[in-house]
Amino acid sequence: MTDRRRINGPPSGTRPAVFASSLKSASGISTGRPQRERQPNELRKLFLKTGLIPSASGSAYLEFEPSASLAAARSSPQSLIPPSSALKLACTVHGPKPLPRSASFSPNLVLTTHVKYAPFAARQRKGHIRDASERDLGVHLETALRGVIVAERWPKSGLDITITILEAEDDRWWGDAPDSHDAPWGMMNVLAGCITAASAAIADARIDCLDLVAGGVAAIVSDETAEGETSSPKLMLDTDPAEHKSILSACAVAYMPSRDEITEIWLKGDHSKASLGTDDKNLGHEALIDGAVNAARGAHTVLAEAVKESAERFAGLMLGGNAA
Amino acid sequence: MASTAPSLTLPPSQFARLQPHAYLLAHLSPPASSNQPSIRANGRAPSQFRTTYANTGSLTHTNGSAVVRVGDTTAVCGVRAEILPTDDIASWSVSHSSSSNTNKRRKIIKSENEEEEEEEEEEEEDPNEESHIQDLNLLVPNLSLSTGCAPGFIPGAPPSALAQSLSHQILNLLHTTRLVRAEDLRVWYQPPSLGGEELERHNAEEQMDVDVDEAARKDGEVKAFWVLYIDIMIVSMAGNPFDAAWAAVLAALRDTKLPRAWWDVDNEMVVCSDVVGEARKLTLRGLPVASSFAVFEADAAAGWRAVIVPDAEEERLIEEGDRKGIQRRWVLADPDGYEEGLSQERACVVVDKVRGKTVIVKMEKNGGWALDGKELKGLVDVSERRWEEVKTILEQC
Amino acid sequence: MVGPTASLSPLVRADGSASYQCPSTGSNILGSVNAPVELPGRRDALKPEDATVEVFVKPGTAPASVGERYVEGIIRGVVGRLILGRERGYQRRGVVITLAIVGGENVSRGDSYLTLLPALLHTALLALLSASVPLSMTFSATVLSVDAAGKITREPSAEDAAAAKSLHVLAFSSKGHLLLNESQGAFDFDTWERVRERASAICHGTSVGEDGDVAMVESADGQPLEGTIRETVEDQVHRDYSWKIDAA
Repeated sequence: MTDRRRINGPPSGTRPAVFASSLKSASGISTGRPQRERQPNELRKLFLKTGLIPSASGSAYLEFEPSASLAAARSSPQSLIPPSSALKLACTVHGPKPLPRSASFSPNLVLTTHVKYAPFAARQRKGHIRDASERDLGVHLETALRGVIVAERWPKSGLDITITILEAEDDRWWGDAPDSHDAPWGMMNVLAGCITAASAAIADARIDCLDLVAGGVAAIVSDETAEGETSSPKLMLDTDPAEHKSILSACAVAYMPSRDEITEIWLKGDHSKASLGTDDKNLGHEALIDGAVNAARGAHTVLAEAVKESAERFAGLMLGGNAA
Repeated sequence: MASTAPSLTLPPSQFARLQPHAYLLAHLSPPASSNQPSIRANGRAPSQFRTTYANTGSLTHTNGSAVVRVGDTTAVCGVRAEILPTDDIASWSVSHSSSSNTNKRRKIIKSENEEEEEEEEEEEEDPNEESHIQDLNLLVPNLSLSTGCAPGFIPGAPPSALAQSLSHQILNLLHTTRLVRAEDLRVWYQPPSLGGEELERHNAEEQMDVDVDEAARKDGEVKAFWVLYIDIMIVSMAGNPFDAAWAAVLAALRDTKLPRAWWDVDNEMVVCSDVVGEARKLTLRGLPVASSFAVFEADAAAGWRAVIVPDAEEERLIEEGDRKGIQRRWVLADPDGYEEGLSQERACVVVDKVRGKTVIVKMEKNGGWALDGKELKGLVDVSERRWEEVKTILEQC
Repeated sequence: MVGPTASLSPLVRADGSASYQCPSTGSNILGSVNAPVELPGRRDALKPEDATVEVFVKPGTAPASVGERYVEGIIRGVVGRLILGRERGYQRRGVVITLAIVGGENVSRGDSYLTLLPALLHTALLALLSASVPLSMTFSATVLSVDAAGKITREPSAEDAAAAKSLHVLAFSSKGHLLLNESQGAFDFDTWERVRERASAICHGTSVGEDGDVAMVESADGQPLEGTIRETVEDQVHRDYSWKIDAA
C-alpha cells in the first residue's frame, strides 16, 4: 500500500531489527526482566508542565519518571534493547471555537478528542493512520472529560483536544512472547497519563470544570519469585507492565478528588483466579478501583501544582497587559 | 480610577490583531522623532534568529532522536532503523548480482581525522553506489503537523499540502546534500569461500571480529540495507517550521546509532547485536544548516496593481532613495507565525562550511521580487553566521 | 539550439489552455486554466477581496504524490503574485491551473522537478494568457546546470542534470525582476551570480552590468525566451482575429 500523501519506504516493506540475544533460549533472557524497586503503593514521579505550546489555547506536557531499570540503562547503557519505557506525551486544547458551518446545532460544548502515537512511540513502529487502539483511547478520554467540563456554558462551540504520544508504555516485557500477556496493559497507563495531561491543558485553556480530574492505574499482579514460582497475587499501584511477569487485571480511572467522583473507569483482565480461594479482601474489584483512585490522588497533587503555575502565569500576563 | 475618561487607544495586543500590518510597520519604521531603533514586533532585530535549544537521545524506542525548539516552534524527530533484505528487493538480483563482486570496498572510518579524509572519499565514491539511497528508498522522512500544533491543522486529517511539501523538502535536501552515506546503511555478508578448514576458520573469525579484513571484504555481498524512518512531529508551531524540522533531523541523525548487523546463515536472516559498544554512529557528510527569511513590505497593496510595479531599473533607483530615508522592505530572518502571515515573499538558504569555506547547498526564493543578487548575498552572509550558532548548539547537545 | 515550441488553446472546453514542448529537456506539458470559477466547498478558506489560486500538477505515469505538492507550491508562489486577483469578477473566486506532464523523463522519488519547472511555469503562464486572466506582468524561466568544472549548461537533459554539481531554476519578470530562484547542489555565491547573469541573458537577451550598461549577448542562446512567449501569443491573437484583419 502506498500512501500518496506521505513519503513511502521500500515497496517490499522492511523488517524490524532482530537481536541475536532474543533468539537465544528463553532461559537466558528470563533473568533480564526489570524488577520493580518501588513499594506496591509508591507511584512514579510525574513531570507536568503547562503552556509549552503558545499557539494553542491550552497545552500540557507530561512525562513519567523512568523506572529504575530504564534509568540505569540510560546512565550506563549496556544493551541497545531498552528494558522498559516511560510515557511522554503532549496535549493541546484548541477552543472553545465556533462549530463548523456544516455541524448541527448543539446547546453544549462539543468535545472532540484525538489520541495519536508518534510512529516512533512504541517498540513496534506505529502507522501514520490511527488504529483501533488509538481510537479506543480517544473514546475513553472523551468519556473521562465529558463529565468534568461544564459544557452548557459554551453553546454552539467546539473544543478539540489532541494528544500526541511521543513515547508509550510497554504492554509487556520485550523478552516475553507476544501472547504471554493477553491484553495491552500499557494502554491503561497511557490513558491515565492522557487524562491527567488533558485536565491540565483544559485548565490552562481556562475552560470551566467541576474539578481537576486525574488519572490513575492499579493492577493485580502475580510476580515470579526468585525460585521461579509465581507468588500470590498482589495489588500494585502505577504498574509498569514491563516489570511484571503476569498482570491478572488492571484498572484505570478518571477521578475527581474534591467531589469524590469517578468519571471513567476501565477495568480489564480476569482476576477470578486471584480472588478464588483467598478471602483476601485486597484482591476484589473494590480494592482494585480503590487502588486506582489512590494512584489518581497522587497524580492530582502534581496536577494541582501545574495548574497553579499556569494560573500564576496567566495572572502575570493580565497584569503585564494592563500595565502596557 | 473609575473617573478617567474612556480611552480611545487600544492596548498593543488588540492593535496587533486588528491592524497586523500597520502594527508591524510601526515597529519597523518608528517615527524619526522618537529616536527608537527599528525593531520587529517580537523584539528581535531584522536579522536575528530566535533562541534555539536542542536536546538529543531522550526517546527510548528510537535509534536516534532529537527535540529542537526554535522560539515557540518545537520539532521532535525520531529515527527508526529497520532492515530491508536484498532478497526482498525485486530488481536486486538482476541489477546487482553481476556487479557485486567487482570492487566494493568497506570503508572503516576509525578516527577523528576523518575531516581530512573526507575530500578524497567524496571523489572516490562511486555515484552508482550512492544512488542506492535514492533508488531503494532507504531514507523515509515524514513530517506531521496534525499534532494539534496550531489551530488551523485538523488532527487526524491526512497531511496538509504544507506538511507534504515540508516532507518533500526534507527528503530532497537529504538526497542533494548526500548527508547519509550509503555505506553506513549496508549490511555485508562474507561468503565462506575455499574448502572446509578455511570455511570453519572464516566463520569463527567473522563471529568474533567486527572489522573483518578489508581485503576480504572485496568479494563480500550486500545482504541487506538499513532503512531509516525519519519521523518529525511538529509539536508546537509558531512560524518557520522548516528550519526547526531540518535542525531536528540533523540532530537526530547525528545521534543515530545502528547496531552491528550480520547475515546469519543458519536462520537465513539478518541478526543484530544489542551490545552498545558494537553499535556504530552514522558518519554524516557535513552539517548543512537551513535559514529561512520572509520579506515584509511597507505597502501591502503594492504588487497587485499593474501600474504600481516598477521596472527592475526603476527599482534600483528607488533603492538609492531608501538609503536617504524611508525604507520600504525588511528582510526578516526566522519569521514567526505572525510575520509569516504578513509577508508573501520567502527565501531559504541552506549553507555548510567545508574547511572554513562556505558552500551553499540550497537557495530558494519565491513569492515576490524584492530579493535579487545583492539581497541574496546578504542572506548568505546571515546564514553563515547562523551556521556557526547552530553548530555550537548541536555540538553541545 | 532548438528553442521551445508552444501553442495556445489546444483544449476547447477549458477557459484557457496551452501546450508546451522543450526539446532540450525533453518535456512536454499540457496546461489548462479555469478562471474565474466558484469554489463551493471552500467558502471559509477564501480570501474576501482576492482570488484564490490553485495549482495541480499531474505526472505522466504515476499518481501525484508529495513531490507534486511541493512543485504546486512553487508555481502558486510565482503566478499567485502576478495574477491581479482583486480585479472585478475575481474576488472570492478561484483560478484553477492544471498542468499535466504528457511526455518526458520520469521524475524520481524526492526529486524536485527542477528540470521540468521552467516548462511548467511557461505552460501555466500561456494558459493564463489564453484564459485572459489579468496579470501584472509576464515572466520567463530557465534551468541551468553547473558541472564540476564550473561549466554552465542551459536546459540540461535528465542525465546531465543528474551528473551536475548544482542545478538552478530562475524566473524573471518581463520588467526584469528576479521572481523565482531554486538552486540545489553545492555551489558558491560567485557561481550563482554567473548563473544569474546567464539566465537573465537567456530570458531577456540582454545582460545588465553592474554599472547599468546594457550589453547585447551572443546569439548562442538563440532567441530570448521572453520573445518566444510573446510571439506565441501574438501568433495566436493574429489567428484569432484574422477575420477582422482581413476585413480591414
